[in-house]
Amino acid sequence: MKELEEIKDCLIEMKNLSSLMVDLALSSVMYNSEEIAEEVYILEEKIDELTLKVKKLALRAAKNLDDPESMLSVIEMATINEQISDSAYEIADIVLRDVEPHPIIRKIMHDVEEEIGRVKVHPGSILIGQTLKQLKLPSKIGVRLIAIKRGNRYIYNPSSDETIKEGDVLIAVGAGIDKLRELSNEKSEEEEELD
Amino acid sequence: MEDIEEFKYEPKSVKEIFIEMKNTVELMIDLAYASILFGDKEIAEEVLDLEERMDLLNYQLMTHTVLAARNVKEAEQATTILQMANAIEDISNAAGDLAKMVLEGVELHPIIKETILEGEEIIGRILVSPDSVLVGRTLGELELASNTGVWIIAVRRGKRWIFGPDKEFRIRAGDILIGRGTRTSIDQLKEIARGVIRVIGNERVRGD
Repeated sequence: MKELEEIKDCLIEMKNLSSLMVDLALSSVMYNSEEIAEEVYILEEKIDELTLKVKKLALRAAKNLDDPESMLSVIEMATINEQISDSAYEIADIVLRDVEPHPIIRKIMHDVEEEIGRVKVHPGSILIGQTLKQLKLPSKIGVRLIAIKRGNRYIYNPSSDETIKEGDVLIAVGAGIDKLRELSNEKSEEEEELD
Repeated sequence: MEDIEEFKYEPKSVKEIFIEMKNTVELMIDLAYASILFGDKEIAEEVLDLEERMDLLNYQLMTHTVLAARNVKEAEQATTILQMANAIEDISNAAGDLAKMVLEGVELHPIIKETILEGEEIIGRILVSPDSVLVGRTLGELELASNTGVWIIAVRRGKRWIFGPDKEFRIRAGDILIGRGTRTSIDQLKEIARGVIRVIGNERVRGD
């Protein structure tokens, strides 16, 4: 059935996006970056659209199913992902308020098991000129890139064809952030804010 | 003076609670998807237990945070911690709702499992063979998360579940590791667990 295929694609996108949003939201707070926080806002709207789309498709699909109630689980799955994205939005909202995030928040983010880190690609780094597909960072060093800051521009959820350039600032999540720092030729951690 | 000292702001405890909350919520989401994927009620129960733990942690965090603020500026900044902790607790509730789908026997459409198996990050089940270089080593020694990109969220050992194994957890032959990672990462770890790949990361784990 055509609807079911579409539903599946929407749900996969929602699951990927809601997880990306949580990571982006946490990094926006960590670096006090309004730009990243605004991206979370935009993605939240996208999730709302997808949620509505899944619900409509599920109702349409239910008409032709012997067991229409099985669509309940589909709607529930979409709703739960929407909840997660709403929470990400709440986290990002901290940055967009007038109040400065409590300094402890940044300290905390350095100590969690799955770290979020920001790594600048320095001259001579072996990452330069390579695509994400070639680098296979997730399986090689346990790190996923959630965004790349190139000049003043952000590339969110970079695709596997994206090529790393000198001067890129990589926003990464995972256990191997220190390894990413080595690969990027970064000598010392920079503490200035992104925006 | 000493009496005042006793009420002194202790950032360490707020920090510790917060770190546990963030680590727990990540584990909960992963476990919730694993419970759906494997239709496993025991894993789902664990998610609900963790949800209760999160409630308690959030309450502790609120108490500490409120107690710590000494003036208006600090109180305002403290609201950012509370807002973040509440949002994290909301995510844990969402994970709880996922797990409840398994416990309440809601009939799950096959699409749901396909979604979990086809996302950017998936949940995988990895059987450790006696020949694998993983056997006898701890998760910390192996640096499994950074060397393979797979985050171990649970281990099935005989009839027992071990949830959220820590760095000291030592892998045995016959363990079934439940991990989260990209498909490439999971497939690679499966090869290591089968004993086909004898190298982890850039270093040889054992000379052979």
